[in-house]
Amino acid sequence: MTERRVWQMIAALLMLGVLLLPLSQALFGLRLTYTVRVVALGGSLLGALSGALGCFAVLRRESLLGDALSHAALPGVAVGFLLAGRQLGALLVGAGIASWLGLRLVAAILRTTRIKQDAALGIVLASFFAAGIALLTYIQSLPDASQAGLDSFIFGQAAAIIESDIALLGGIGLAVAVVLALLWKEFKLLTFDADFASAGGLRGGLINALLSTLIVVTIVLGLQLAGVILMVGMLIAPAIAARQWTHSLEQMVVLAAALGAFAGGSGAVISALDSDIPTGPMIIVVAFALVLLSITLAPGRGVIWSQLRQRENRRNFRSRRLEPGA
Amino acid sequence: MMGLERALIEMLLQFVTRDELNAFLRSPQHTATLVGCLIAVCGALLGTFLLLRGLSLTSDAISHTVLLGIVIAFMLMTGAGLEGDTSSPWLIVGAAAAGVGTVLLTEALHRSGLVRQDAALGLAFPLLFAIAVILVSRFVDDVHLDDDAVLVGEIGLAWANTNSHCFEHCGVLRITPEHPAAQQTRQCANCRELGISPRDERAEFKEVCGNCGVYSPAQAWSAGLLDEAPTLVFFPKSITVMLVMTALTVGFVAVFYKELKLTTFDAALAKSLGFRPAALTYTLMVLVSLVAVGAFDAVGSILVIAFFIIPPAAAYLLTDRLSGMLLLSPIIGGAGAFFGYDLARGLLFGIFPVAEGIAALNAIFGLQLREAWDSSISASVVLTMFVIFVLVWILSPRYGLLASAIRRANSRRRFEDQVVLAHIHNHQGTPSHAIELQAATLHLHFRWTPQKMSRVLMRLRALGFLSLEAGSAILTQRGDAHVHAFRKHMLVAHNIPDIDPTQP
Amino acid sequence: MPIAMPEPGQLALAIDDLTVAYDQKPALWDIDLEVPKGALMAIVGPNGAGKSTLIKAALNLIPRAAGSVLFHGQPYEAARHLVGYVPQRGSVDWDFPTSVLDVVTMGLYGKLGWLRRPGRRERAKALAALEQVDLVELAGRQISQLSGGQQQRTFLARALVQDAQIYFMDEPFAAVDAITEAAIVNILRELNKRGRTVLVVHHDLQTVPEYFDWLTLLNVEVVASGRTCQVFTLDNLQKTYGGRVASLHGGQVLAAGG
Repeated sequence: MTERRVWQMIAALLMLGVLLLPLSQALFGLRLTYTVRVVALGGSLLGALSGALGCFAVLRRESLLGDALSHAALPGVAVGFLLAGRQLGALLVGAGIASWLGLRLVAAILRTTRIKQDAALGIVLASFFAAGIALLTYIQSLPDASQAGLDSFIFGQAAAIIESDIALLGGIGLAVAVVLALLWKEFKLLTFDADFASAGGLRGGLINALLSTLIVVTIVLGLQLAGVILMVGMLIAPAIAARQWTHSLEQMVVLAAALGAFAGGSGAVISALDSDIPTGPMIIVVAFALVLLSITLAPGRGVIWSQLRQRENRRNFRSRRLEPGA
Repeated sequence: MMGLERALIEMLLQFVTRDELNAFLRSPQHTATLVGCLIAVCGALLGTFLLLRGLSLTSDAISHTVLLGIVIAFMLMTGAGLEGDTSSPWLIVGAAAAGVGTVLLTEALHRSGLVRQDAALGLAFPLLFAIAVILVSRFVDDVHLDDDAVLVGEIGLAWANTNSHCFEHCGVLRITPEHPAAQQTRQCANCRELGISPRDERAEFKEVCGNCGVYSPAQAWSAGLLDEAPTLVFFPKSITVMLVMTALTVGFVAVFYKELKLTTFDAALAKSLGFRPAALTYTLMVLVSLVAVGAFDAVGSILVIAFFIIPPAAAYLLTDRLSGMLLLSPIIGGAGAFFGYDLARGLLFGIFPVAEGIAALNAIFGLQLREAWDSSISASVVLTMFVIFVLVWILSPRYGLLASAIRRANSRRRFEDQVVLAHIHNHQGTPSHAIELQAATLHLHFRWTPQKMSRVLMRLRALGFLSLEAGSAILTQRGDAHVHAFRKHMLVAHNIPDIDPTQP
Repeated sequence: MPIAMPEPGQLALAIDDLTVAYDQKPALWDIDLEVPKGALMAIVGPNGAGKSTLIKAALNLIPRAAGSVLFHGQPYEAARHLVGYVPQRGSVDWDFPTSVLDVVTMGLYGKLGWLRRPGRRERAKALAALEQVDLVELAGRQISQLSGGQQQRTFLARALVQDAQIYFMDEPFAAVDAITEAAIVNILRELNKRGRTVLVVHHDLQTVPEYFDWLTLLNVEVVASGRTCQVFTLDNLQKTYGGRVASLHGGQVLAAGG
């Protein structure tokens, strides 16, 4: 697709996103309650944020790191609760620290042993999650009753999102956008060719740490909505879908953010239409549907496109072979 | 399944009395440890091959998507009017299908050439898991499939879910209306229909048997219908399920050991020799799915991956041989299951009380946490395995942090010696001799601190490898021999010709 | 080795007692290497001889166990702007969503410094470099659609925009077509004419005397280094490769070296 087409597509997606709530009100009779609006907005913001940062995770071949980091956040939530009670700030800080520790542990295992990345991720994922479960079980045995809802971090509980969460998501989203814009060329060069970047005087370690921190922050924010298991899908599905439509990193990141926002918003709307459908899983299903659409339909790269091209090649080949005889 | 259990019990009864067996199995600790050990053996054996093939996280994906298979099979069964039970063979078939489905979906995504392997995995399993969760909350209403059980499971309850087997006084009791114990009552047959009370004259009555039906010996005894106690053994279902899984796994690994070894290390060679690496891989994945679903009740779908990944990873740091890994990793996993139960009850490795740790935390940070520690057994088993992994990571004689640190310190010292000796050797007798070998300025050539250089020079002089002449370092004969010996050693390691460029 | 010693000020690169070890196993052992300004030098040696390691250690990409490296008499931190680098082609993901022009512009990021973004001037420079490697018409193309040779020329263009004094090229001739090989050689000569220093990790012994006027034979240690006409002898090659050279290239190398 030409560059202009992709921008048009992004614009159309954003329009669709804005019209999502009024449209579904008109078409499906959705009741626009306060909760529905807040959840849809939260889902879109989170989708945009994780879509944009997920691009770097996918391109750095660290798709599954997000999975390990989201599981690793759980003991942090529990410890945060033990130390400060049920305050969202404490829980998120705890989650962030635990997740970051998990990241360091993966790096340490990779640096000092011959265990490969997949197993290192698995070790951290399972043991941190076990620590989280052990702590949560312990917390449940405490007399204090206010622990209710801590396990919503495991599955995510969209209905628990309130206005202050939206403000937090929006603020962090803005901060991430600013950092991405300012350090764009550094992030890009480091992701494409780390050796060349370091030889050219880029502080690779610093930029790397910054990028990882942004991803950890996104995961931690996403836990409440999507839960530890599905967070990895939120992170990488929009990025993979976006990759099929464009050949430029700029467009990929913007498109992934738009696709993520769309998936987040529409997943929330669908689950609002049927109260038995949970929000987080629905968002994932929508995001995957976008991936499937992209890898089949995307012009130039998609499966259908390349099948057609193959057939055309074959036909050309055959007709050329027939020509001399004809 | 029942027949198998019975044969097993009869074998056990050759060695212990029935009461001893019942008492043993009724203890939550014994059953939990036994089931945990069996899961650990299966996981460790299969996980070893996953680890060596770089597929460890496939077990993560499979253990999540197994849920989808269970849910779909469960829905089909309840739709067909069958009783849903998580140890039913149909659920196991569904789970195995879901496991293979995950692998197929991942490969299809990957084969499109548009998605990388790890990304394909990261796409496939959240999707299948999300679908499962939606199905559960939309269509299924059953305690066995609620969220918590899915994720965590509770191995501590494995002892309570049993099949009963009867050995004496077993006659199946069938109570018919004619049976002396039958409890007959008169009931109005048409009261509800006509909307009248039983006292109405139009009421017709019939005899109804309140307790008729077929009683298993255990039910009959507990209903007080038997004079003589039947001889019963209660056998936990999880043990049977995991025993079957273990037999399958051990059998598979034993029978296909050679093929597994070959395909793991060189799939291309294996294929060219006429083996079918793909078939083996899928069998492996089916077994992983089966073990995941067998362990589902006991440890839940996330923690089970620890059984596949952590013990083989620890064994990988202890040995270089496949057979060694296959031997060590079940032992490590079993030890985790064994000590994990103690940890859940507050004792790490049966020695260190967790309560004291909490008390210390309370004292240091001024917290008021409850000191009695009583936690999830499954999670504690995983944590124990992780602790074992960390201990191995630090202490392993070959690859441990400690051993490498010591080795590194030693070889750094040797290495420094060699660098200096080689430098002197290379410049001795060349025109730049006087500049390059001044002991006072030697450190500048290496960008070392003067202290480091003088330390090395002192050591080398003490070893008799060099002497100082007019402020320049000169190799002694011994030093010269040492340089040549090292050179030979180093060059052999690099497999390059032993030619000394400084020789004419 | 009896090479004419250039004045220290005339040295583009001075490596002194460089030792690099992976896990305490030496990959480079006590390397002394002096490269005069304006040299077009091949670094040649068998697999595992440490050729790439030499470049990476010089550019501070891997830690050194001992020794120093000076570029125009300055350490690397001060001389970064003097250095251009062409990594091995296989070291990056060519499915990365970016265009040829974009990759070439990356060569200017180091000069731009933090926060500043590439603009029209950078674009013009990048296009000029693409002109040199004959890829202008592919400037907008996605890099996954390039052939191996085109990829290599893209990397070369990226190094050219760096406008460096000393270039390090890691296996630029590996698996490229004849057109690309000729283009690379032309650019090497052009750089040489403009007085730039170029170090090339090379693997094809037969073309060494034709392409390069300086040569370093490396096998963990420097076996020989100097003008190609003096260093490129069967004796030296055998010291580097063992007996294999004679059997592999036989008379050709002898003739070329004589």
